[in-house]
Amino acid sequence: MNLSLQLNRVRSKPWLWSFLAALLVWLATLAFTRGEGAGALTSGALAFSAFFVIVGVGQMFVITTGPGNIDLSIPANIALSGAVGMKLMEGQDSLIAVGVAGVLAVGVLIGCANYALIRVLRIPPIIATLSASFLLQSMAIAYGRSVRIAPPELFYQFSTGRLLGIPYLALAVALLTVVAGYVLSRTLYGRWTLAVGQNMRAAELAGVRVERVRWATYVLSAVFASVCGVLLAGFSGGASLSMGDEYLLASIAVVVIGGTSVAGGFSNVPGLWGAALFLYLLVSMLNTFGASAGVRLILTGVIIIAVIAAVSGRKSQRSL
Amino acid sequence: MERHMLRCALLSSALLLAPFMSAQADTADKTIALSNNYAGNSWRQSMLSSWQQTTDQAVKAGIIAGADSFTTGENQATEQAAQIQNLILQGYNAIVIDAASPTALNGAVKQACDAGIIVVSFDGVVTEPCAYRISMDFKQSGLDGMNYLAKRFPGGANILEVRGLAGVSVDELIHTGVMAGTSKHPQLKVVGSVNGNWSQTAAQKAVAGILPSLPKIDAVVTQGDDGFGVAQAFTAAGRPLPVIIFGNREEELAWWKKQKDANGYEAFSISSAPSISSLAFWVAQQLLDGKQMPHDLLSPAISVTQDTLESSLKGLEKGGIVSHVYSVDDVAQLKSPVAQ
Repeated sequence: MNLSLQLNRVRSKPWLWSFLAALLVWLATLAFTRGEGAGALTSGALAFSAFFVIVGVGQMFVITTGPGNIDLSIPANIALSGAVGMKLMEGQDSLIAVGVAGVLAVGVLIGCANYALIRVLRIPPIIATLSASFLLQSMAIAYGRSVRIAPPELFYQFSTGRLLGIPYLALAVALLTVVAGYVLSRTLYGRWTLAVGQNMRAAELAGVRVERVRWATYVLSAVFASVCGVLLAGFSGGASLSMGDEYLLASIAVVVIGGTSVAGGFSNVPGLWGAALFLYLLVSMLNTFGASAGVRLILTGVIIIAVIAAVSGRKSQRSL
Repeated sequence: MERHMLRCALLSSALLLAPFMSAQADTADKTIALSNNYAGNSWRQSMLSSWQQTTDQAVKAGIIAGADSFTTGENQATEQAAQIQNLILQGYNAIVIDAASPTALNGAVKQACDAGIIVVSFDGVVTEPCAYRISMDFKQSGLDGMNYLAKRFPGGANILEVRGLAGVSVDELIHTGVMAGTSKHPQLKVVGSVNGNWSQTAAQKAVAGILPSLPKIDAVVTQGDDGFGVAQAFTAAGRPLPVIIFGNREEELAWWKKQKDANGYEAFSISSAPSISSLAFWVAQQLLDGKQMPHDLLSPAISVTQDTLESSLKGLEKGGIVSHVYSVDDVAQLKSPVAQ
């Protein structure tokens, strides 16, 4: 009786699955290296996962607003924002604020542009954000010219610095996820987002300003992607055009593996961290095992499917 | 033997013709198109600007009527095949291709040949026999890096291999060269291998992920556009810097120079020159002019050593790649690969 009650409690926390998966992969890697490099592996995982989580938060809000809502402009946004940020900062500590402000402005503009395509021209989000990404990528090419400008020393220190082995970035992003969780469950905007995702018509009739919520959500996603872009540029010593490539699938994968419903209406903030850690550790594990690229890609696909199946299996059990 | 004779004939005819090269009225009314499948990295950007520079001058000098470049939006073979079909219809006399796939464009390339169009592929070459191929000896470049390391580490070394994009032929060829290096120099051991996807950020991430599980790494072989990310990963992990085989990018050479000045760091760098596009242009122009050439041509790799580091960096624009400006005379010196 007591046991089944506890089991139920575990099942009601879908984010546990992604953390469990991450933990298993972590243990498997360390078993292979006989425990060597545990600290370095964990520290690296936290640093790289932080980037996945930043874009994941934005994408999660977008996906939560209901079926069909998705932001595919994230990779191009990252490439453009990284270039804009580094160019504005010119490698000088005194210009960091200017660079960050510029990048935030880029994010807001991109979000508004995405929403305008969706709302004014009535283009489905998947097409609208994808075509926006072509425009952004071209702008990044024309603007950045693939020139690698080194980030200001202070900004570089922040992006790569660690406190007791934990990257500053991971701490900052952890704080961000706490805020995002609070916004989602405790504020009017968050409640409205969930309501729109569960049933847009019902939400509208209940007085939710649906379009305002969607606008805010696309802006939020674009701003987070821009922030990710400038931080990534700081982290890797400069911006590059291909910097955002892997974030198209990764941003969606962390949301889904993290236990957020693809159909919208149900979000899961802590799951983003579990999923991001899992994705990074999975690739590290397969690299450590010495798997060839082909085997690695196949196994990555199979394991992701297995985890998603496990998560959705839990859902069907709950509905019984 | 036949090849040798052909080469001699080619060389001598080129030498004979060299003084008259400036008068190329035969191609003055011809047009050449560049079909390119991707523009999203620094190598391709340099490649395109090199094409632009060379062809602008050629058009101005009246050597050719026009040489436009077209890049597809998505890096996809089907899209590029459609693009080539459009170029055929537009009536270009020659099409120069950096192909998305060695085989998927063959149908479109054959159509072009059948329409009497000269097709020259470079970098990403096509296997269709009627087309010309200018490729770098990628296997040799992988081997050159290993040869350098064998000299640096006669007593043996642990090596991390950072490969390119899985499934792309260039990655496979360079990898074959690296493997040939390990069998030639058994003291060099490849203890780990990751895919850096020719991207500094991807390489940084992949290397950071595998480093904790590796013993001391003495050297890293990269394929280009990934060496700087590798260096970042080693610095972040607080590991001693390995000898990195770079890929001629300005940011890589600048980092190398900084380390060299600070602590006498030594390395080696090798890559194909993006200006191979201008070489392809001249090959197409010469073919239009009626020259005979073998269908397979090898363009040499460009390497940077400890001694040439400063001279290579001088004049190299930020974000650029060490390049070499090809002229029409270089066409005559192209070699065809030794039959394997």
